[in-house]
Amino acid sequence: MSEHLSAETVSAFVDGELAGDDLARAAQHVAECAACARRALSESLLERSTANAGHRYAMPEGFEARMQKAIAAQQNVPAEASHPSPAGRRAGWSHASLWGGALAAVLLVSTGGYVAHDLAMRNAHSSALVAETVDEHIAALAAATPQVISTDRHTVKPWFQGKLPFSFNLPAALPQDVTLDGANLVQLDGQPTAQLLFSIGKHHTSVFLRERDAVKSAGEASTIQYAERNGFHVEGFRSSAIDGLAVSDADPARLHDLALALEQAQGAE
Amino acid sequence: MKIWGIKFGGFGFVCVEHVSRIAMRGGIVGTMALLSWRRTPDAGRERAGSRGEAASRPAGFEDLVLPLLPSLYNTARWLTRDPAEAEDLVQETIVKALAGFGGFEPGSNFKAWIFRILRNTYLTSRTGLAARSTVALEDEIAASGMPEAAKEFATPEAELLRLSDRAALEHAMEQLSPPLLEVILLCDVEEMKYREIATVLEVPIGTVMSRIARARAALREHLTTRGLRVHEGGASR
Repeated sequence: MSEHLSAETVSAFVDGELAGDDLARAAQHVAECAACARRALSESLLERSTANAGHRYAMPEGFEARMQKAIAAQQNVPAEASHPSPAGRRAGWSHASLWGGALAAVLLVSTGGYVAHDLAMRNAHSSALVAETVDEHIAALAAATPQVISTDRHTVKPWFQGKLPFSFNLPAALPQDVTLDGANLVQLDGQPTAQLLFSIGKHHTSVFLRERDAVKSAGEASTIQYAERNGFHVEGFRSSAIDGLAVSDADPARLHDLALALEQAQGAE
Repeated sequence: MKIWGIKFGGFGFVCVEHVSRIAMRGGIVGTMALLSWRRTPDAGRERAGSRGEAASRPAGFEDLVLPLLPSLYNTARWLTRDPAEAEDLVQETIVKALAGFGGFEPGSNFKAWIFRILRNTYLTSRTGLAARSTVALEDEIAASGMPEAAKEFATPEAELLRLSDRAALEHAMEQLSPPLLEVILLCDVEEMKYREIATVLEVPIGTVMSRIARARAALREHLTTRGLRVHEGGASR
């Protein structure tokens, strides 16, 4: 008689996960071995029992209706409302400038009002940018495959040639346990953006790189250094030519290491 | 009554009834009734989210997500252990999923996709962050630390008696570490295939296999320990 089945094999056998020779071997062994037959029976009983016990919590009253409402609310929000278009945003900033002019007159009385307003606008814009950045990251998580799949920086970087109006560098060495998975070409805040996909351990991570000049000319005064949204960490970094945003649910310290490596790479070569 | 060399004695009728029920569910009746223990595709497996769900028409987000709400809530409730937090978790999952729905490939596995979002959202929640350290520790547990397979199983009669105590089983599930609880929820409760679970958890199938085996061993151990405590408590009274 063959050796006893491992615990994993018994589980897989009961769960219908064995096939071909593995299944034939396991079935034959179980037919011959009383101990393993007992284990398989026990495993099956346990599986059925946990399946029943696991269906423990029914949805609270009105929960489905609330979720339907939440879905409808989000679906009915025009894209412009949640993520203002660049034009809209620029108009908003022109508006802010007018307000700034008006407030400048009042400056003699008090500078506080303008500063508060300016800060509010910046915060609102930063918040929208963080939301858009996280959304793009989630979209990448949901996508089956990136537009370019490669762990080689010499493949990923050239892929963007002719697709972006700027170039960037990828670090020669990534932090420990960080791998490059690929990249996408996306629009972030209306700017053509390189979305570099990494894994920090098991955590998928996106790093968005945009042209610094374009960001400035769009009137964006992004000062995102660190933010959190929907459980994702967002860290901003910038070099003289590149504006970057790193997004992940990985440990913020490890995300910072990756952001730092990207930031430093822009000054290299 | 003797099946595969096991004498069931006085409890034989219970076992026969159970095996028959399993056999009926599995759709395989005969001398190889044992094979009927193995899970086979059933109606639950083919619910919304399975492959081919959108064969006739492109399903909208709501069409796909609403049938899964009970499962999402049940899983969220087990993971967070708090009704309000579970509601928030499901709602946040739905919001994220809807935002990323454009990237979802029609016809692919929606259930695995949205459960992955639920799980990632949970891991970055307050409760999930606390559980993360447990995840790291759990990965370091050597499978060799498990009891010898042949010794760990009680007789089927004793097993049935223990498993009939639903409260004890729920308690045992509550004692599982988050990584072991989530595989039990996905495998046994949601009836996902190992491949789907690997997608949700973003781990290799081999890791799924070992976690399921460890989870069941842990459940069995909790049930045995509790059974002994109850027995000892009863004897001492």
